[in-house]
Amino acid sequence: MTKKLMALLLTTIMVIPGLAGCGATGTKATTNSSAKTYKVAMICDSTISDGGWGAACYNAMVAAAKDNGFETQYTDGISSADFASSMRSYADLGFDLIFAPGNQYTDAVKEVAADYPDVDFALLNGTVETKNIASILPDAKQIGYMAGALAGLMTKTNSIGFIGGMELDTTKAKLACYEAAAKAVNPAVTVNSAYAGSFSDTAKGKEIAASMISINDVDVMFGDASAVDSGAREVLADYTDKYDIGQPSDLLALQKSDVVICSVVTDNATMLGLCMKDVMAGTFGNKTVYGDLSNGALSVGTFSSAVSDDVKAQYMAAIEKIKAGTFIQ
Amino acid sequence: MEAIMNVNFIQELLLSMVRMATPILIVAIAELYSERAGLVNIGLDGMMAFGALAGFLTCYITNNPYLGILAGAICGISVNMVYAFCTITLGAEQIVYGMAINIFAPALASFIYKIYFGINSTLISNTLMSAAPIPFLSKIPVLGNVLFNHTPIVYLAYLLVPFTYVFFNKTKAGLNFKAVGEFPKAAESLGINVIRTKYLASVICGGLAGIGGAYLTTSYIGTYSDGVVSGRGFIALSAVIFGRWMPGGVLMAALLFGFTDALQLRMQVMNSGTPYQLLAMIPYLCTLFVLAFFGIKKAGPKANGRPFFKEER
Amino acid sequence: MNTKNNLIKILVPIIAIVVSFLVGAILIACIGGNPIEAFSYLFKGAFGSASNISDTFVKATPLIFTGLAATFAYRCGVFNLGAEGQFVMGAVASIWISTTLTGIPDVLQLIISITGGAIAGGLWGVIPGILKITRGLNEMIVSIMLNYVAILFMGYLYSGPLREGSVPQTGSVTARLAKLFSQIKIPAGFIIALVIAAVIYYYLFYTSSGFKLRTVGLNRTAAEYNGFPVKKLILISFIVSGAIAGIGGSVELHGTQFRLMSGFGEGYGFDGVAIALIGQLNPVGTVLVAYLFAVLRKGATTMQVGTGLPTSVIDIIQALVIVFAVAGSAFVNLPKIRQVFTNLTGKSKKEGK
Repeated sequence: MTKKLMALLLTTIMVIPGLAGCGATGTKATTNSSAKTYKVAMICDSTISDGGWGAACYNAMVAAAKDNGFETQYTDGISSADFASSMRSYADLGFDLIFAPGNQYTDAVKEVAADYPDVDFALLNGTVETKNIASILPDAKQIGYMAGALAGLMTKTNSIGFIGGMELDTTKAKLACYEAAAKAVNPAVTVNSAYAGSFSDTAKGKEIAASMISINDVDVMFGDASAVDSGAREVLADYTDKYDIGQPSDLLALQKSDVVICSVVTDNATMLGLCMKDVMAGTFGNKTVYGDLSNGALSVGTFSSAVSDDVKAQYMAAIEKIKAGTFIQ
Repeated sequence: MEAIMNVNFIQELLLSMVRMATPILIVAIAELYSERAGLVNIGLDGMMAFGALAGFLTCYITNNPYLGILAGAICGISVNMVYAFCTITLGAEQIVYGMAINIFAPALASFIYKIYFGINSTLISNTLMSAAPIPFLSKIPVLGNVLFNHTPIVYLAYLLVPFTYVFFNKTKAGLNFKAVGEFPKAAESLGINVIRTKYLASVICGGLAGIGGAYLTTSYIGTYSDGVVSGRGFIALSAVIFGRWMPGGVLMAALLFGFTDALQLRMQVMNSGTPYQLLAMIPYLCTLFVLAFFGIKKAGPKANGRPFFKEER
Repeated sequence: MNTKNNLIKILVPIIAIVVSFLVGAILIACIGGNPIEAFSYLFKGAFGSASNISDTFVKATPLIFTGLAATFAYRCGVFNLGAEGQFVMGAVASIWISTTLTGIPDVLQLIISITGGAIAGGLWGVIPGILKITRGLNEMIVSIMLNYVAILFMGYLYSGPLREGSVPQTGSVTARLAKLFSQIKIPAGFIIALVIAAVIYYYLFYTSSGFKLRTVGLNRTAAEYNGFPVKKLILISFIVSGAIAGIGGSVELHGTQFRLMSGFGEGYGFDGVAIALIGQLNPVGTVLVAYLFAVLRKGATTMQVGTGLPTSVIDIIQALVIVFAVAGSAFVNLPKIRQVFTNLTGKSKKEGK
């Protein structure tokens, strides 16, 4: 008798929410007006207040959405097990474009895109092209060159540093090109690198920067590690002649800093905007949107006063060469 | 390899070791008080996270890092009171409650941070506590910088060690305290108020754990992010066991862990070839080997982890 | 008497859940949200469509495994806090087997792989067990340490030796667990979890060996006095518990994730312990509570998307469920309260908080 009571109670509990769920679905279906409002959503594994990658991608989406009249939504702090189900939630709620800011979402995007052929997916740093998936690919090598050239020109101790988050292929490419470019402008330079193993552990960034400074007398740093870079900048701020190059937002345009000399800016907004236009025109898919210096998706950020005019001139000359592809033979 | 012999390198390494060991030490001592009264509290990570947020927020609003530390302590205590009530008065499972705190407190901290600060392109930063070098001693070459050129919280942490030692071994209050963790029934029959001692232990534990967390965001780095604690609570827990529940041992354990962590990062910088994960395992493997090797003759306070009911005779 | 006890055991978690939702609703209202709307999104996310229901089963599966692992260990009086590490090691073994043993039929590969996962998880679980028996070590800390070692080891593998492609992650497994019933795609892993739950239920409550195990958990002295092989039973509980978690990792790999990457298995271990306790250490309860947790996790995103509330609200609700349910169970077991119950006649009274 008790068992029957148990079973009854528990089935009731499981059924009621189901009924409530059905009820809720019904009331929400009437909000479609005649002019279609497009909706874009971003999912992110880091927080969007990380002052790095997450923040840049979110701002890019918001900017692009404003230009194209899209509504935006986001979910951050998602663990890898939840990538697919978060995207499904958005797809179910009628979103038109889903923005996945990184290569790690590739599997989830492919899986969900197959189940929702009417929803479009933009994959940053991805290499997939299907009917409803488009990839956005900023040129990691050029980013590396741009940062390396400036670091090589600015360093007085001939020792520069690089902090990686995780060992992504794009990060490895950026590091390799950072080193090559620095050596091209300054053959005496040595490059020190380390991986924090995380995109959020600011304390690690601090420790890595501190040790690079003390062991190798590094005076210019560049990072591909999102929030970790903020920790590095904190240490650099304790000195008057040590600098950092930012990525992917234009840091000096956003706030004052004595440490940042310049940023390598990735204009995700424009590239995402192109995807949005495709969605509206119905031509989305089967393409990769490339981003490099020649189409303006990569650009040099605001300089700080610490960069002398002479260095600026040399750097801009190098940029022209990078753009033309003649910088590194 | 010559780099290692460089004095500068060693000094910097030791400096980093002291810095990284401090939060572990503070929180480990917090747990020491708790376990000596028979309460195993594994919710240290959660309390640290909440303390970190409280410290950060307070420091941001008032521009005073010391108020931040105080706020951290208060918030740590309030979180731990939930644990205390449920485990002492209700006699619930201490491990589970510790874990519930580990889920609850960081979620609450993250929630409050989001609500208050909204969305930002850059990490919000606040003013850091400034270092207070001790006038004469900090001039000693090498050691002076390593030991005496820190923020006051670091000094507090290290002063806690002898204080705790004296408390537990030389004062009547401390001995009574320990008795509660070893033989609560005997203690009760001697007139020691077991329940009150346990609550007191929880207050101390919560306060210190909160301070440990607040240290991270007001003294160590000036920003708060969701992963700021990164498992330090559990390292502190193992420091307590590693240090055999003695203040001096806990100090050694905390320094060892700080050392291996600092060393691991520097080794990575010097030699990017080694996979960093293997190096990062060192603190945990150290604990395991020492535990397995030495065993636990002294398995900690004997009544650790068990609820105390007055009615049971 | 027994009926009343069972009834109380079930009512406590249910009341705890209700109270947690109430507190959550208040929290939502405090920050200007609409609780009814929020919860309707929550349930819609978990049940609103066939794919949602399927996803909820997918999320419940690993939780059932770790919950069962914890239940089994608890029944023998041991704290297996290492479920996360055992889960991960099970998946590691599976990925290694999958990438080494190619060219054999999928079904065979699955069987070998899952068995490998069980063995790996069992081995990882036996370490704290042996240390406990021979050195008297507290298994909690050992198992927590091993969790970190396992996760770091996995990190090493997917960044280095087993890495494939441009992101730190391993290649994907070719043998995949199917989803059954084309209407509502129930993952095969869920069925496996249910089968294991049934097996454990049978073992614990209907075999003499299971009885001995439970005795060790309830009263170790009595068990020793009766000549039960206590040390052997403790060791068995660690091994089996670890093996279950290892199978869970393997199933998650073959059924849902298909590769190892950062964040694999995160949080399942501790959630499993909580689930075991709230489910009153009964495999049936474990399955149900695991499902509830899955509902919360799945619905959280939809709720966040629909209302703009931060997902940490759901984390708070989930933690509150644990807090209230365990507090409730403890409260009900207090000697004073038990007295109250025996003084009442007939129906049990719901004790409010």
